[in-house]
Amino acid sequence: MQTEKPNETSCGTGKGSLPGACGSLAYPYISMQEPNPSRYSRGEALQTGTLFPGLNLPFKAAITANLKINNTALAELMALDFAVDELGLYLTTHPDDQEVLDLYWSYIKLAKEGREKYQKMYGPILQTDLTPEDGYAWLRDPWPWDKGGND
Amino acid sequence: MFVYEKKLQYPVNIKTTNPRLAALIISQYGGPDGELGASLRYLSQRYSMPYPELKGLLTDIGTEELGHLEMVGTIVHQLTRNLTEEQIKQAGFDTYFIDHTTGVYPTAASGSPWSASSIQVCGDTIADLTEDLAADAAMM
Repeated sequence: MQTEKPNETSCGTGKGSLPGACGSLAYPYISMQEPNPSRYSRGEALQTGTLFPGLNLPFKAAITANLKINNTALAELMALDFAVDELGLYLTTHPDDQEVLDLYWSYIKLAKEGREKYQKMYGPILQTDLTPEDGYAWLRDPWPWDKGGND
Repeated sequence: MFVYEKKLQYPVNIKTTNPRLAALIISQYGGPDGELGASLRYLSQRYSMPYPELKGLLTDIGTEELGHLEMVGTIVHQLTRNLTEEQIKQAGFDTYFIDHTTGVYPTAASGSPWSASSIQVCGDTIADLTEDLAADAAMM
């Protein structure tokens, strides 16, 4: 004996089923991140590879659990720059989110300070950074791929 | 216009060389779904994008992929430091070494050099974005 299929999964003509919802047939879907999404701290974000817990895939969490970067001026600058990158990407698709925009600007300010702190210790990050007391310090080793370039 | 920042996006500090691993990781540098292809795919698709959000997004991501390219290059470089002849032979790194020594060359692990035939720019918004999804999913 056959039982009638429950009608609750039917999305109707022109629609198909998605997990927990219906959507137009034959369109690929990437759901839009909602405004002001929850965020990791910037240190956690650099470690995890995303600023947003909602975009963190579980298998990545297993990999990053074993990674630990040292707490240096460079690591702090990397964390700030990464948060700025991530917020910038988010703002590209959510330009009207004022709260995140404010956070973006405050991180940019912090990153600027972090950059100056790093440069005082290790030399220029941009070729055009002024180093009047230090000659043309741009060429100095180590470069980022060299041994000691990430200390 | 691009400006270089003399730092990596994330620190790379490899203590133990491992040419066998380098011979695989090189694919993330110059393989079909590697970072070189990713950056050129995004940066080349920008021009035909009709909306500012898309122009901005592909510019942001394509630029960040260049940063990833530098990190992967650094990984390969550091994995192949100070190799002995024995290490090169035993690790199966010799087929790479014969042509490139320990230079970082954009190639797939299977030996094909990087090729634009592994990316597409067709000028159609949805088709190009769909290509990006496929390529990025393959990278993960």
